[in-house]
Amino acid sequence: MTNHEQYEVNFFKPLSEHAKANTKLITRLAIIWAVAVFGFHFLLIYVSTPTPEQAFNDFNAVYPQVVEEESAPLEANQQFARTMLMVLGKNIAVKDDHKAVLKESLSWIVYKMNADSIKPMFLTAPSDESVLQAATSIGLASDGFDKIMKDLLPTSLIKVENSTLSPQSQKALPEIMELYLVHNQSFLTDFNFLGFPFHYWYTAQFLLILFVLLCLIYAVTIDKMNTQHDFVEET
Amino acid sequence: MNKQSKIIYTLFLITFFSSNLFAQSATKLEGEFKLIPAIILIILLVTFVLVGVFNRAKDTKTYWAAGRKISPVGAGMAIASNWMSAASFLGMAAIMYGSGYHGLSYVVGWTGGYVLLLILMAGQIRRYGKYTAADFIGDRYYSQGLRGFGAGLAIFISFSYCVGQFAGIGLMFKWILGIDYTYAVLIGASVVLAYTLISGMLGVTKNMQIQYVVIIVSFLIPLFILTYKFGYFSWLPQVGYGEIISDIVNGIAPGKGITAMGHDFAILPSPEFAMPWDPATGQTAFQWLAICFSLMIGTAGLPHVIQRFYVVPRAKDARWSVVWGLFFICILYWSAPVYSAFGKILSSNPEVGALAKDAIVVYTAQLGDLYPLIIGFLAAGAVSAAFSTVSGLLIAGASAFSHDLYFNVINPKATEQKQMLMARMGTILMAAGVAIIALMELGLIAQLVAVAFSLAGCTIFPLFLLGIWWSGSNRTGAWSGLIAGSSVAVVTLVYFVTGKFGITLPYHDFMNYYLNAWYFAWLGAPLAIIANIIGSKLSKDKTPIEIKMFLAEKVHNYKIK
Repeated sequence: MTNHEQYEVNFFKPLSEHAKANTKLITRLAIIWAVAVFGFHFLLIYVSTPTPEQAFNDFNAVYPQVVEEESAPLEANQQFARTMLMVLGKNIAVKDDHKAVLKESLSWIVYKMNADSIKPMFLTAPSDESVLQAATSIGLASDGFDKIMKDLLPTSLIKVENSTLSPQSQKALPEIMELYLVHNQSFLTDFNFLGFPFHYWYTAQFLLILFVLLCLIYAVTIDKMNTQHDFVEET
Repeated sequence: MNKQSKIIYTLFLITFFSSNLFAQSATKLEGEFKLIPAIILIILLVTFVLVGVFNRAKDTKTYWAAGRKISPVGAGMAIASNWMSAASFLGMAAIMYGSGYHGLSYVVGWTGGYVLLLILMAGQIRRYGKYTAADFIGDRYYSQGLRGFGAGLAIFISFSYCVGQFAGIGLMFKWILGIDYTYAVLIGASVVLAYTLISGMLGVTKNMQIQYVVIIVSFLIPLFILTYKFGYFSWLPQVGYGEIISDIVNGIAPGKGITAMGHDFAILPSPEFAMPWDPATGQTAFQWLAICFSLMIGTAGLPHVIQRFYVVPRAKDARWSVVWGLFFICILYWSAPVYSAFGKILSSNPEVGALAKDAIVVYTAQLGDLYPLIIGFLAAGAVSAAFSTVSGLLIAGASAFSHDLYFNVINPKATEQKQMLMARMGTILMAAGVAIIALMELGLIAQLVAVAFSLAGCTIFPLFLLGIWWSGSNRTGAWSGLIAGSSVAVVTLVYFVTGKFGITLPYHDFMNYYLNAWYFAWLGAPLAIIANIIGSKLSKDKTPIEIKMFLAEKVHNYKIK
């Protein structure tokens, strides 16, 4: 053996018993670390399927009918309006241009639902009166989620420009609804643990606990290992 | 009671009484001067300076070795304080508030990297015994050129890390002083510069422990109150907020409370907040994984983090300080999502308006109608977090400039005075440059800081990893790896900067997705490692036997007979 080879440091070719044990320990911990973080997330990707919220199904059930038929049933129009509010209620999650389409659709359907004598109040900027009338037309109660939707109306109604929904909005609406109402879900997201959706708890809490534990295990084991192999650490 | 305790006790009393005298409403989210936070902030900064004066380092050697007297728990607190910046305090909650589960990639990335750092490097770095990252690189790869390059990188990384911090300081000064963001950044930058120049050589480690306590206490208090106030499990908000996440997914009907603006504490079903890579957030699974990976290896390559291990007494202490440090860091990281969850609900009514995401931690406390003293303390905690990190980074950047670059490479005959002048000039120039970039508002705090991590992951991490674990890695390999990693970084940053100025280069969308400024290390780091290995194998250059012996005997404790 030449001098050079004697001093060759290579993680995969440890030169002493202590180094072998160290390599083994690091490899094990690194595998646990990698599988816990990346393995879990690959599993999450693999099992996730696009799952719609109820509001998306409600929207799809009435959408073509509400837009295409002048005399769509009141319940269908109300359901359509509610789904608009359900998405507008996501507030910060919704892009401004998407909000504009949703507001236009909501204001248009409220206009459409009302009698000709009442319609003019929706042709100007929303007022307390038009907001109240809109809530009545949609059939919003004063409690539960209905109250949240009712509170959204003052900021969601806009001045109605046309008696029909603009072609651009008609085209954009189904995609917008899908974007905000369909989510990647699976048994990992549906299962509840300590109040959390399981995957959220796993990532936000368990992984951090695991990291601290891995560090603890390493620090304890390496101290023991040094004693076992009679290693005096430096300086 | 010793002198320090007396100062802290007196200042606490002043804070308490002054805030009661001037107790004011917290209902206005911004736009007005806020006296209480301003008083608390000034008192905190004065305290830090005074504590520094009483723990003043007599000379450079004492300054560097200051930490060598402290226990692993104390060193862990110093690591945590050094680490927890505006990105942790403000940025993480902001990104989770805006992008839900996607933001957790930052939480996991900024903690998981410590495992790598510990098992692969901490003890070995301590045993190697150099003071700066550039010193290690220059010594291990026996090259003055690499030392200079390393120092340049350390400066650049510290610089980009500071940009996000200055943005955070600017936002908090804007909030406290009720002024425009531009003025707030300029004032904040001047204050942090003055603070750094005054406290530069003072008792940094002691201050870091105090700063840790201030940061963590100011961050946790509002969470106990908010969970209690809105009927969640408040004994341990870090567990209690599970129910809040599920409530956001399923919706909360009115009846749980009222916000400071008079709205119901209620929200319509919003699964996009918690579901993985939700289409509504515009983020994909690839981006989640790429950010997480980049931040992890960046953690293990950041010069100011690595340098903490040089100032502990023994390699054993270096390891245990990481364990404690990570635990202390995790206390904040377990808690940050609670702010984003409350923020999501409390700002769900559109009448609240569009809030600056990076200030959501403070807005959440305001919307939750907490006592102004507590909100003021929270804002002051945010500034402390940014200040403690920025002053460390400015000093690290300036010393890399004066010591590693100017003295070691450019002018080895420079006197101590000349070096000191260079360090001060470096600090001022760096602060001015950072302030200008921060004014451009290129991204969220967490994202801006992530750039520094990717830079470190692409360049310094591979040099340390291979430098420690493979003596076959030589000067040629180091240059090859650095060139590969730096090239990825340069290409990414060119696309990023030109994009910000409205210039569209070829394959803009492709590059913007796969080589984004927030996570380019996912590709850059493996490429740099491969280039280092290939360069080392192909070149005739061999690592000198003295370095191999040093690595084997001193760093890895091989007992060669």
